[in-house]
Amino acid sequence: MIVLVLRRGALSLVTLFLLATFVFFATEVLPGDALDVSLSADEMAMMPPEVLARRRAELGLDRPVLERYLGFLGGLLNGDLGRTIITRAPVADIVAMPLRNSIALAGVTLLLALPVALAIAMAAAQAKGRALDNAVSGAAIIGYSIPEFVTGLLLIAVFAVWWPVFPATITASTDDPLGVLLAAAPLAIATTIIGSIAYLGRILRVGLIEVMAADFVERLHLSGIPRWRILWLHALPAAMIPGLSAAALYAASLVSGVVVVELVFAYPGIGAELVRAVTRREVHVVQAIALAAAVCVVLFNLLADLGIAALDPRTRRA
Amino acid sequence: MRSAWMRREVGVADPVLQVRDLSIAWRGADGRANRVVDGVSFDLAAGGTLGIAGESGSGKSTLARALLGHCRAGSAITGGSIRLDGDDLAALSEPGLARRRGRVMAMVPQNPLASLTFHLRVGRQLEEVLRWRAGLSADAARLRAIELFGQMGLPDPERLARRYPHQLSGGQRQRVVLACAIACDPLLLVLDEPTTALDKTTEAQVLDLIRRLRTARQGAMVIVTHDLNVVADICDRVLVMQHGRIVEQGPVGQVFATPREAYTRVLLGAALRVENASRARPAAPGLPLLEVTGLGFRYARPSLLRRAPPGPPILDDIGLTLARGEVLGVIGESGSGKTTLGGIVTGLLAADRGRLAFDGTELTARRTREQRRRIQMVFQDPLSSLNPRRRVGDAVMRPLRLFHGLDQRDAARRAARLFEELGLEPALLARFPRQLSGGQQQRVAIARAFAAEPDLLICDEITSALDASVQAQVLDHLAAMQRRQGTAMLLITHDLSVVWRMARRVAVMQGGRILETGETEAIFRKPANPYTAALLGAATRAARAGQPELVDATG
Repeated sequence: MIVLVLRRGALSLVTLFLLATFVFFATEVLPGDALDVSLSADEMAMMPPEVLARRRAELGLDRPVLERYLGFLGGLLNGDLGRTIITRAPVADIVAMPLRNSIALAGVTLLLALPVALAIAMAAAQAKGRALDNAVSGAAIIGYSIPEFVTGLLLIAVFAVWWPVFPATITASTDDPLGVLLAAAPLAIATTIIGSIAYLGRILRVGLIEVMAADFVERLHLSGIPRWRILWLHALPAAMIPGLSAAALYAASLVSGVVVVELVFAYPGIGAELVRAVTRREVHVVQAIALAAAVCVVLFNLLADLGIAALDPRTRRA
Repeated sequence: MRSAWMRREVGVADPVLQVRDLSIAWRGADGRANRVVDGVSFDLAAGGTLGIAGESGSGKSTLARALLGHCRAGSAITGGSIRLDGDDLAALSEPGLARRRGRVMAMVPQNPLASLTFHLRVGRQLEEVLRWRAGLSADAARLRAIELFGQMGLPDPERLARRYPHQLSGGQRQRVVLACAIACDPLLLVLDEPTTALDKTTEAQVLDLIRRLRTARQGAMVIVTHDLNVVADICDRVLVMQHGRIVEQGPVGQVFATPREAYTRVLLGAALRVENASRARPAAPGLPLLEVTGLGFRYARPSLLRRAPPGPPILDDIGLTLARGEVLGVIGESGSGKTTLGGIVTGLLAADRGRLAFDGTELTARRTREQRRRIQMVFQDPLSSLNPRRRVGDAVMRPLRLFHGLDQRDAARRAARLFEELGLEPALLARFPRQLSGGQQQRVAIARAFAAEPDLLICDEITSALDASVQAQVLDHLAAMQRRQGTAMLLITHDLSVVWRMARRVAVMQGGRILETGETEAIFRKPANPYTAALLGAATRAARAGQPELVDATG
């Protein structure tokens, strides 16, 4: 098991290195440098060449590619993601808080959605083919297929306009403590939770139904082992395995991909920051966010793999 | 439960298990009930062992589960009674059944690997039964589990208890499942195909264990199997089932010596082949068709680095020759490398050492179309080797069009003729694989192979997924086809009766090596190698049971 953890960890580091390389070359080596991209054509035309050259030198854009690449990697190791072009603020500072907020949103969502999804899946799997199961499955498909901006706007219409119990948009600011921020964002959290329950519930239900038909469940049933024990100790871990990888990717997408929810509710997360960076043409910020998203995917995949290895001894060959 | 034991000792005459007029039906999607067990009645005395024999689909496994009061979803007991220890299982509520399961009646299910929870250590799974069903404390359960594993003949029980199911061999898994079933010393033990997943040598060991358990426990036992060798070996009564009904029942010696029903004779005929069969397949003289010299194979170890050390040898220095039109049997236990050998000859795997010559030219893993046509293969599981979404006619017509360039009409005509030659209705060409029986599916796979008109056919365990009576049918058709087309055959199997029936020469494999090669007759009569002798010893039990004076009375 330890060997496996080390191996998977090392592989993840290799993946991250390749990712960083890819992100760097994708944004830096394409035609035009960071300065060209961040300035509009008018600004370019207005600026005298020597000013441009000076700013290039300041940003280090005049150095050879390889040197900049090594500098970029070195900076990454020190947590230095460069500075923005317009305000000259450190990119790390700009990205840190929104990233924290997004991770918090994803964490709270999963924490609340997973038990609910699990309970629903278990109830549905027990009543397979009967009214309860059909109702749950139908609701899950609806919940899963409605886009988040529709759910979000519906929630706003109901709970902020018709029956104003929650604020429509978030009044807390980016740097507020997490408690304050999350307390101010009940509708945003509800929106992501609804989608998550539908998605995770479906995966878990299918897994459970399959496992409950397995031979080992029948053997236990025929040994007179109580049903709750079969379900919790034998069936549930087996049913979680196929769901784990899917859930990990989903969690990663929650961190990096709830742009819509963040914009609808003005939640100060990484998705909203990405949109802002793109409109302001802040190449380094986009680079940093892309990297952070990739790190999330790799990290959650690693966690899922380790979780699967913990659940399924057959995969534990290091 | 103790009182149950007391009562049994009062009179042996009254049976422990009394099944009367039992019927079980499946409710189909159209709402019509389909009877799979139909008016079955029998008694089982204390200490008795009853064999329930029949082909798959005869309802014997459904009956076995019903003896524990269980019907799978979609089926239900529609009539009759199952009296065990004074209760009618057919009338008991689910909680009442749950209280008795594991203690009064227990089951050893068919597939031990799938029947054990893959993510729990086997010791823990046995302890669970001991704690929840026998009411032992955690510590007592741990000790008792080790003790039970020891009694099951498992080596180093303490270490074995900490292993997971996939880390055990097939025989060990079967012993673990057995231990779980007898943990509470049940009155009735039902074993569903206890040896089907095992090779011949392991089967003999597991049967020995079951026989020992029977004498030690004195509880009643029901053994469900399609293999009459097993019935002959350990049962004292036999019940033959067909289409959900009892065809014949009685003492084993009597039923086997003088079977009254034709169906019983068919089943018996399939089981007794080892003892009396006659083959006449002289090999054609001249240059050998296939010549294998110094063949070696290892699986590469998966690794980040390319040049990783290879795994242990699967095949080691294999040499054999096959003449035109000759049938060579390759026998050995699972893991002996015989399937790998077939894979290399077919071109599915690449050997990493040695030479393979086919009709005078070197064979590598990369084959010409003509070579692919001339070497065909039939696999163990016909269902997974046929495309489920294509009609079987397409499967047979594909090689005809690909290799012989026939157009649709000629291909269809030729496919119909192949079907007829293999005893299949040409109307079946329009069916999908799932709509055919196992024996029909395998004959379709054979038709597909012969459609290419090959010179060499590799058959890998082609009958092991089939029932005994169907096996005979498939082998007969295969033999007739082989003689007509003069095809050479490499017959890979663990079933000695298949080799005895089909092959003039045989190669015995173990641990990736060929132990001996020679005339089937000579080797079977006088095996030079002790391993061959052990393999043979495990296979010839059924015939002895036909002669009552030879039945092993000590058990």
